[in-house]
Amino acid sequence: MTNAAWSVVEVAARSLHPDEREAVMGDLKERDESAWQGLLDVLGLVLRRQVMLWKSWQPWLTAFGVTVPCSFLLMGASLSVCQAWLWLIDARTLRSADMAAAWSLPMLACHAALLLGWSWTAGFVVGSTSPRTLWVSAVLCCSPCMFCLARFQVPSLSRLCLLLFLLPAIWGVRHGLRISSLRLSWAIALASATTLMIALIGSSGTQRWWTPAAWVLNATLTWPAWYLVLASIKLRKKTCGVSTEAGGSIT
Amino acid sequence: MMGEFEYLLITAAANLAENAYGVAIREQIEATTGHKCSIGALYTTIERLEKKGLLTTWMGDATPQRGGRAKRMVRVTAKGVREAKGFYDAVTGVSRGASWVANRTRGAS
Repeated sequence: MTNAAWSVVEVAARSLHPDEREAVMGDLKERDESAWQGLLDVLGLVLRRQVMLWKSWQPWLTAFGVTVPCSFLLMGASLSVCQAWLWLIDARTLRSADMAAAWSLPMLACHAALLLGWSWTAGFVVGSTSPRTLWVSAVLCCSPCMFCLARFQVPSLSRLCLLLFLLPAIWGVRHGLRISSLRLSWAIALASATTLMIALIGSSGTQRWWTPAAWVLNATLTWPAWYLVLASIKLRKKTCGVSTEAGGSIT
Repeated sequence: MMGEFEYLLITAAANLAENAYGVAIREQIEATTGHKCSIGALYTTIERLEKKGLLTTWMGDATPQRGGRAKRMVRVTAKGVREAKGFYDAVTGVSRGASWVANRTRGAS
């Protein structure tokens, strides 16, 4: 039993709950198992835990309902914001008078705020709904990013423009890992603001929001915000139920 | 109704009483069945039984032979005892008359 081999076992056990890790590592030590056997035991337990997680709907929702579609669409939104920024700051690249009129600075700010809101919300939903399968979501987010980065062919823009959404999304994930749900008032404010900005942008002429494609895009990117509202309502009802039960038992 | 491994685990924990924890339960199951019991099977089953309310667990004291790590102690609840008895009755009931049962009823043979 070398220390290095046991370090590998310790690393493998890190994905377990701290209490379970304590008990499992203690059991291995007490039975004087070899590091190899210990590693197999720990990996077996980790695998079983991961399989059990996927029996619930939350990992599926975050992986295939949020991460995959939002990664693709947010890359498109990031590109759109960067292009608009370029149109505004560099008069030489202006190709259309209509476009110049539609893309005013406040409208660009509105688009950027919408991108920020969408990215943060998607990240928050991923971090709060299924934190223990976050690594799967990370892999699923990287795949479309690599796909699009490899095929990126806009000479005037850097490839990194595609990844503009990543910073607010990671910020959202970090918040989601810390707090499982937003306060209802915050969730409603976020969802309403996002929806309002879509309407505002739609009425400005920079995006034809009534077309089916734009509808699907907006709905896909906005539903996580309304999901947060539902989650907050559910949590509030649960908390009220618990406090009512506690009150009932006292009386 | 509980599964056979759940029954083995509950019975081992009940037999061990105050000394029921991971290693002791594993050793008893392995000694009784002659098969290896993996840590993965043990701890996922303990968690499942705890969710069903058939077991309670808590972290015990750390001991030097465990490298200063705590044990996860296990206790069978009253509901667990009822469920285990139900499983035992069902197995003994259905086994009555089977050719491999030593004192099987004559009519069935």
